[in-house]
Amino acid sequence: MNSLILSYITFVYFAAFFFYLLMMVMGRSVFGKIATTICVLGLAGHIFAIVLRWVESYRLGIGHAPFSNLYESLIFFSFTVILLYLIVEWRTKNRTLGTFVTPLASLAMAYASFSPNINSRIQPLVPALKSNWLITHVITCFFGYAAFGLSFGLSLMYLLKRLDHEQKSGVFLRLIPGKGVLDDLNYQMVVIGFLMLTLGIITGSVWAHSAWGSYWSWDPKETWSLITWLIYAAVLHSRLVRGWRGKKIAILCMIGFSCVLFTYFGVNYLAGLHSYAKS
Amino acid sequence: MSTARNPRTPNPVWRFFCSVRLTIVLLIILAVVSIAGTLIPQQQGAMTLARRLNPVTLKLFLFLDLFDIYHAIWFRFLIGTLALNLIICSVNRFPGIWKRFSALPRPDRQKPFENLPDNLTITVPGQTKTVAKNVEHFFQKKYKRVRGKASGNTFYLYAERGRLTHFGFYLVHLSILIILAGAIVGSLFGFEAYVNIVEGGETDFVGRTTNMDRIPLGFTVRCDRFFVDFYDNGTPREYRSDLTFLAAGKVLEKKSILVNHPAHFRGITFYQANYGKVAGDRARLKIIRKASEPATTVVEVKKGESIPLPGGDGHFRVSDIREDFMNMGPALLIRVHPDGGQEISFWVFRDREAIEKRFPGLTKKFTKLNPSAFKPYTFTVEQLDTRYYTGLQVAKDPGVPLVWTGCFLMVGGFFITFFMSHRRIWVRVTPGAKNTLVSLAGSANKNPVGLERELEHLSARLEGYLTRKGRKVT
Repeated sequence: MNSLILSYITFVYFAAFFFYLLMMVMGRSVFGKIATTICVLGLAGHIFAIVLRWVESYRLGIGHAPFSNLYESLIFFSFTVILLYLIVEWRTKNRTLGTFVTPLASLAMAYASFSPNINSRIQPLVPALKSNWLITHVITCFFGYAAFGLSFGLSLMYLLKRLDHEQKSGVFLRLIPGKGVLDDLNYQMVVIGFLMLTLGIITGSVWAHSAWGSYWSWDPKETWSLITWLIYAAVLHSRLVRGWRGKKIAILCMIGFSCVLFTYFGVNYLAGLHSYAKS
Repeated sequence: MSTARNPRTPNPVWRFFCSVRLTIVLLIILAVVSIAGTLIPQQQGAMTLARRLNPVTLKLFLFLDLFDIYHAIWFRFLIGTLALNLIICSVNRFPGIWKRFSALPRPDRQKPFENLPDNLTITVPGQTKTVAKNVEHFFQKKYKRVRGKASGNTFYLYAERGRLTHFGFYLVHLSILIILAGAIVGSLFGFEAYVNIVEGGETDFVGRTTNMDRIPLGFTVRCDRFFVDFYDNGTPREYRSDLTFLAAGKVLEKKSILVNHPAHFRGITFYQANYGKVAGDRARLKIIRKASEPATTVVEVKKGESIPLPGGDGHFRVSDIREDFMNMGPALLIRVHPDGGQEISFWVFRDREAIEKRFPGLTKKFTKLNPSAFKPYTFTVEQLDTRYYTGLQVAKDPGVPLVWTGCFLMVGGFFITFFMSHRRIWVRVTPGAKNTLVSLAGSANKNPVGLERELEHLSARLEGYLTRKGRKVT
């Protein structure tokens, strides 16, 4: 039941993307308002389905928070992306980022719902996952991933905005906010993401300390999260101390997000301790 | 710029280590090297790759420690360089930061008031002097280093807060050094080891994970019981070991461990990591004697015990019990000593029927596997006592408290560095036509939007406060 609702939400987010895009191509703000409404409704349904899944797991007698495998993590990732985006939209009163972020959420949902390799059934928790750290670890990591996802969208917008010239440019590029605003917002996203990633790594190592007997074992997922952390640490230092702005930061952020994606998906192709996140 | 002639110009080594460019380069190198470590199989997994490499490449790989990158000397050297870079950068920046920390600007600076938005000037009742006094009182409650100054009939005030936030990044850098120190303490004074204990068994040493060196515990640990519990779909639900810690034969403590719930004893931690089954030393055998009068006897046997054959024509003993023999499940080795005859030995499988189905005629073909090899007897296993063993990860890491302290400081440092700022506020109180004008201005080292919001909030609250005070006087 919950997975059926969740598979529909894929299309809801896709519809939101469509209207955001329409807003940017046609230059009509009414489409933006429609898109936001769809997004909010989608998020409400999304939350409902996650709670439903949680309740259902208890009804099956194997109750646990729905963060235990790849399916559930993708669902949660998509949720954090949309939630964080809506907060940013509300704070900045600008909807253009939606065009770049809703596809991310929709793709994650589609991958979770329609990939033949992903099992959407509620499975019982293996002993290693039975820990109070599960919820904290997953929430901090995925809010970090979502913030980096938004940073990726903003970096993309920044690079596009550079093509905008006073005379010849379409509505699309003109609607994207100024480069300074994008750069600032991108920085804020990186800060949030970095803080969350740090918390995610810390909660993960506290957990690993009690489950695997060592707070750090150079497991591929651990190592890749460290790599991501190092890249974003480089971003922050180059911006805060060396005063880099704009294009360089945007490109570094895109590299950073590709590391995030590898930490999330690529690591599954390497052997390691985090194997429950594979299917 | 003639900094080159400045006598205080630091030497080139210092200059090299105090550059943030070095930090960025080191961070990126560490990232790239770590990537290599996840792509090249490390430690135990390295053998398969090592066999496929040609000798020269293999030599290079071994020379560069590429099969154990994260413990290679050069990797540690990189981390050491980063730590040194971090310390020297921090020291180098200290004078500038101290200056910003301790500088006390004049209250009557005019520059902050240039291009002031209208909403930051408020009109309040009362005389300039009284208003100025109230303003000072207002700021003293919430701000630090409040300084006032009168010049003619205009009154100025300076106040600030959050100047300690200049040191936020020091907290982050310190936390990294503390975490590294914790890692060093752990690797010098700690160990990671592993041990299997059979139910009922005990040990007073464990094997180091890297080279299986014996590490004495200084006490004895016994596994009283091991439990494994499964969900309906067959996946494991819980593993549990009941452990007893003893010294000199005296029970000191009993603890149960689960995955995620290790036990600590005398600075050493025991984690539930693995489990398995081993054959015990007891079995129940059914012996069929196909003689003129067929007879079936059931006997309980213990490994090594000599037992008379039911027909009185000799003795036998079970000399070996295996949990899994030739991948065909549990089996035991029976040696029969007939009275005045040659010893004959053969394996008896517990799951004989299943094996017959898989390999028809196998047990007939090989005397060694034939339970009826000694005529006229046929041996079958009624019950084979198997026991669980628990696999324990055993670790001692005195560096852990340092690591957690570092993590805690790091998060605190982030909050200070990213979300708090040093905000300076200037207030100008000038006499108006009938009332008094109060203007607010400010500066912050980061987050200008936050400062604007604070100023707006402040002006509203100040207006309310001063108006209330003004009314009381009149």
